[in-house]
Formats: sequence, structure tokens, C-alpha cells
Amino acid sequence: MGYVAVTAGEEIIERAEQLFEKQRVDDNVDALGVDQIEGQLGRLTGQAMSEGGLYAPRLAALAVKQAQGDTVEAAFLLRAYRSTLERFDATATVDPGEMIASRRVSPAFKDVPGGQILGATKDYTQRLLDFDLLEGEPGDPTAEWDLDDEGDPERLTTVTELLRSEGLLHEPEEPERDEPNDTTRESVTHPPERDEVLQELARGETGAVTALGYSALRGYGQVHPTLAEVRVGRLPVRIEHPYTGEDVTVTHTEITESEAVVPVYEKRADPQFAFGYGLTFGRNERKAIGMTVLDASIQLDSEAEPAERAEFVLDTVDGMDSFGFIEHLKLPHYVTFQSILDRIRAIRERQGLSDDGRVADDQPADSAVAEASDDD
Amino acid sequence: MTEQPAADEGAPGEGTTDGGTPTATDTADGGTPVPTASVDAALASLEDDGLRGYNYAYLDEHTKREVRRAMLKAVAIPGHQVPYASRPMPLARGWGTGGIQASLSLLGPGDTFKVIDQGADGSVNAANIRRLADNTADVTTTTDTTGADLIQSRHRIPEEVLTDDQRLVLQVPITDPLRNVDPSDAANRRRHAHANYGKMWVHLYENVVEYGEINIAARYPTMVAGRYLMDPSPIPRWDVPKLDDADHLTILAAGREARIYAVPPHTAVEPLAFTDREFTVERFPDQACHACGSTDTYLVEVSEEATDRGADAFETRYACNDTSFCEKRREHPELSKDHHLDREGVDWGPGTPDAAADDDTGSAADQGGTGQ
Repeated sequence: MGYVAVTAGEEIIERAEQLFEKQRVDDNVDALGVDQIEGQLGRLTGQAMSEGGLYAPRLAALAVKQAQGDTVEAAFLLRAYRSTLERFDATATVDPGEMIASRRVSPAFKDVPGGQILGATKDYTQRLLDFDLLEGEPGDPTAEWDLDDEGDPERLTTVTELLRSEGLLHEPEEPERDEPNDTTRESVTHPPERDEVLQELARGETGAVTALGYSALRGYGQVHPTLAEVRVGRLPVRIEHPYTGEDVTVTHTEITESEAVVPVYEKRADPQFAFGYGLTFGRNERKAIGMTVLDASIQLDSEAEPAERAEFVLDTVDGMDSFGFIEHLKLPHYVTFQSILDRIRAIRERQGLSDDGRVADDQPADSAVAEASDDD
Repeated sequence: MTEQPAADEGAPGEGTTDGGTPTATDTADGGTPVPTASVDAALASLEDDGLRGYNYAYLDEHTKREVRRAMLKAVAIPGHQVPYASRPMPLARGWGTGGIQASLSLLGPGDTFKVIDQGADGSVNAANIRRLADNTADVTTTTDTTGADLIQSRHRIPEEVLTDDQRLVLQVPITDPLRNVDPSDAANRRRHAHANYGKMWVHLYENVVEYGEINIAARYPTMVAGRYLMDPSPIPRWDVPKLDDADHLTILAAGREARIYAVPPHTAVEPLAFTDREFTVERFPDQACHACGSTDTYLVEVSEEATDRGADAFETRYACNDTSFCEKRREHPELSKDHHLDREGVDWGPGTPDAAADDDTGSAADQGGTGQ
């Protein structure tokens, strides 16, 4: 037998794909443009970029559109695309104090250097459906604002910097390596280093990070942090210029950053705060805070609670992994199921429960013994 | 390289065709760039009908080299799980991403590729994987086991004997057999390092105490070369003996868990069992494939409406799981599993001459059982 073309399976796949595409264009309404998604559904694109580990707002908008709003699927599209890209360079390390913050709250202090910046938030509004939006856009509510040019934004000292200068904050141990290990290029082995933990959490699925972080607060853990601050803003991306050798800013990324202190006294003689850190692409305060709780919990390195075990958290927090494996259960499993049927029938026969007469009441162990169990 | 190179003249097929053997392209020192001239030439010789904007065989050359290095290490330490940086693929994790990375790292334009999912070439997921290789690597595809250089399979080893110029890539969902007795990889890595498999032996013993026999169905814990305990992927127990002293190379690749391991040719593979509770394969007493009549193959049961016995009646029919071999058997019912070899009586697990001294191991338990 030579070459045999298989077409049935491929035609079915194509049709299924076409049906899926049809869902998007089914109604007789205007198509949703990538510009609209990027501009108006920034939370979705931010989540896709954060979980996909690729800062590309326009591609994220495309991914959201293509995935029909499924953020994990959109993040998956970005990751698959990202894995085909060549890596040209690594950026220079950025000081978060340089952030041009559009929002910054410090729950730990009433006032902090640089001030509290409430920024754009719905945190303190009532969650009521705004039926006016059904009728169309009301227009820019800030159009009448009287604004003076305040000049360049000032550098915001991070709150943990203040605590650290007073010696109140526990200093993490120096890592054993100089460069962080890129976990997309070298897979994590357990126990992981902290740089690996932070990377994996930063790409973690928002719901999973939130849920596991919440588990620690809910009582399955000891960490109940005080947030030093949560900030949203733009951070410069700098690379070393190939000719001059100087750092040049090539673009900015919108990020959410969160830092927390935890009153766990590491040393009795010298009580200090432990701390946690969270950072995500896009505006996603929930995930950044959840990550902060998990970072602080994992640093406790205890077997007692799920959120405190790096292995448990890292094994379950990735959206690509959990989504893929949960949904793979839809694949056919009849080979393995036949094998399971064989076991359960054999045991029922042994226990005299079976009456279907498939096998005589002989010992199954005496029958169909494979060669391999003899000797090598 | 991320872009398709310009279609310059070049020696067709040079370079990537030898990707067939894992050793051939891995001679460069670490850190030096991969010579891409020969790859460019191979690409230039291809028809321009691949995926636009993507590299030959989807993955970039550095990644493929890294995967091949992991395979080499896996071959050098049979049964040991080698970490590698599993890339996100355009397939969902858990759907064969490890297998396809291994396959794409091995395939060259001269290769013939077969993909099976649960024994069937026609399964939609198998078709999807085959389509990716077809689109990006320009390989020939086949459903004929004996005609393939590389076979990627989910949960089955074909019924026809694999030879020393064939490679089998098995998709792996869970890499560590010890996961069943301890979920922690850190702890299990220590156990593997010390060859400390006591916890698994206790698990098997508890099985016997509780059920009278070992109740592990697929994913049967298997000792490789007397050293590493291995999860042979969820192949049925039926297929496990085929790995023992095989002529072919088996690569087991997990994408989600980012591990590769291997069973090199002629390696001892022994399922764990007790002398008084021996390893048993699945039994199909008195059953034969309803299509080809085989009694020496792995069968799966299908419930069908038996309209002649009333509206709600069902009957169970058995069919060969390996659809490609079943098709051949329908034309040639006497075809043996080693029909394509120049020797006879090759041991290929249950139902082959050396394994059971007859060809009906599958119905060896027919001591008066009536079936249905």
C-alpha cells in the first residue's frame, strides 16, 4: 500500500472552523473593528497580553476578535505567535520609580511622597447598569474640565523604598545567578527560583491568580498583606543602542504594579516586614494584587497551605496549561477506556459480582500473561 | 530565522533531510549560530504552499536543535525525563504539543509522516496535527504504518511491527509514573535519582490487597533498562511489551509538562508486577473484530442499536482499534503483523508468535465464556 490520502477528518475540521467564523458574522450588525477593541475593550486586550506574555496591543485586539472574546484563547494565540519570533535583544532593567503613573493608591499610608492619585477607576461608584449606553455614547464627560499644564510628572518614590531605607523591610536573599532564567526558553524544575516564580505568576491566568491569592486571605494561609501601593501607568522600554552603547527608550508599556508588606517577623531579634510583588501588562489590578499575595505566600515556603507551595501554585496557575488539559478531555479516550473496562470487569469477576459471562471464573492472572513480565 | 528566505537556487533537499536522524544536525558547538545555508537551499526547493510568514516546520532552527538535543540526552539515559523549553504551539496544550514539537524537529522534506490518535488516522485531532506538518514541513503523509518513517501517536503503538528505520513519537499527558503516588515533582525527582521506587511498589501491593490484582489500566508503570521507572504514556497494557527490545526508537514527548524521554532500540522494558500477580494485558475473550475477524489485535467495543431486537435494544460489537491494519486485514485476513519483514515470528507483544506461542492470546481466556 502506498500513499493514502486522508481527507474526511480534514474536511470536518474545516467545516467546524467555518461554522465558528460564521458565529461572528451571523447577525446583521456592524463588524467589530480591531481599533474599537483596542480602544474600548482595553481590559480584554490587557489580560490577553499579560497572560500571553507579549506586549502588542494591536495583535492582542486581533486575538480577542479572533477568539470571540475568550481571553485565554486570545492569550494562547499571542503565545503561539510569540514562540515563532526571533529574540533580538534584552531590554535594560527599568526602575519602577520612573513610571508615569495614571493611578496610584497607597493603602498603607494616609499620604505618601508624590501623593495619592485616584486616576480613572470605578472602585467607588455604584455598580448599576447604565441603560443610557444602550442608546449610544453620551460623549466625553471630561470635555468641560479646566486643566492647567502642570509640567512633567514627578518621579514617584515607591513606598517600599521608604520602608526599605528605614530597614523595616526584609531583604531577599541574593539570587545564585546573575541573569534571570527565561522560563519560556528553559522550563521550570522544582523547587523554582524566585525569578521563575515571578515570571510564571506574571503570565498566570487572571482568574487562577485571583482565586489562589484569595485562598491565602480566606484562611488557607498566613499572608494578609497591607498594600504599600498599587500603581497603573506607563513604563519606558529601553535597550542599549548597538552603536553608542547608551540606553535609548524605544517605546512604553502600560503596566500594573503592586507591592505589599506582610507582618511576618523573620527574625525575632530584628523584626522586619516580609513583602510581596506583583506586575502585569495592561491594567489588571486584581491580578497584580493576587500575584503579590502569592509571591509573599510562596516566600514562606511552607507545605502547609496550597498558596504557600511554589510547586502547587506554578503547576496550576498557567492558563494555557489548565485550559489545554481540561479541554483535552473532549478528545476521544476509547483506547484507555477499553483498558479501564477490562480492569473493572476483571475485578468484578474476581469478587463474584459479574454475571455477564464474559470470562469463566478462572483467575485472570493466569490468562493472557504478556511475555515481558517474565525476565529480561 | 523567522522569515522565509528568498527563493534562491540551491541544492534541493540538502540539510534538513538529514533531520531524520537526531544526531546529524547537532554537531555545532553550543552558542554558535546554526548554519542555515543548507536549510535555505532546502526551503528554496520547496513549493511555496506552506504557511506564509512561518519557518520551515514551524519552529525556528534553534528550537528544533534544542529539542533534538533533549532527545539525544533522553536516548543516552533511557527512561529519564529530560526538561526542555516546550514552546507554545498553535495547538492547545494537552492536544499533542509535545509530540508535534518532537516530530517537527525530526522531520525533513524527504520524510513520510503518519499521525494516529487512539489508533485512528482519521481522527480530527490526528488530522489537525498532520495538517500542520503538511502545511509547514512539506512532508508526505500516509496512513500505512509500514510506509512511514516517523509515526506520531496518541495512546497506541501500531499493530504492525516497527523496524529500525522507523521512529515512533508518543504524545504524553503525564510524564511521571510516580505522580500517582505523590503529586510533587521535586520529591519524585529525588526518588528517580535514588532509584527509590518503594512507594510505587507499596501502591501496587495495596492494589492487590484491596482488589486482588493490580487495577492499573493504561499508563502502566514500567522499568526501563533496569534503572528508571517510566510512564509509557496512556498506551494500553497491550502495547507495553512492544517496547521491550524493540528495533525502533520511541520518543515520548510532553508539551504541557515540558519533558522528553525515550526508549532507544533494544532496551529492556519491564512492567512492574509481582511473581504471584503477573502483568496482564487487556482480554477480549471470544471476541473478534466484526470487520476483519482479527482475534490478535487490540479491540474496542462499540454499542450499536440492534433494531432487529426492538427499539431500545443495543448490542456490543468489537472492532480493531488500529484502523490502518484492520483495513489491510479486510483484504488479506491472513496478514501477519510482521508481513513486511524478511523474518518471521517477530515478537511484537500479545498475539505474536514469540509472545504466546500462538496467535490468539487475546482469546486465551476462552474457557467456556459465552460472550454475547
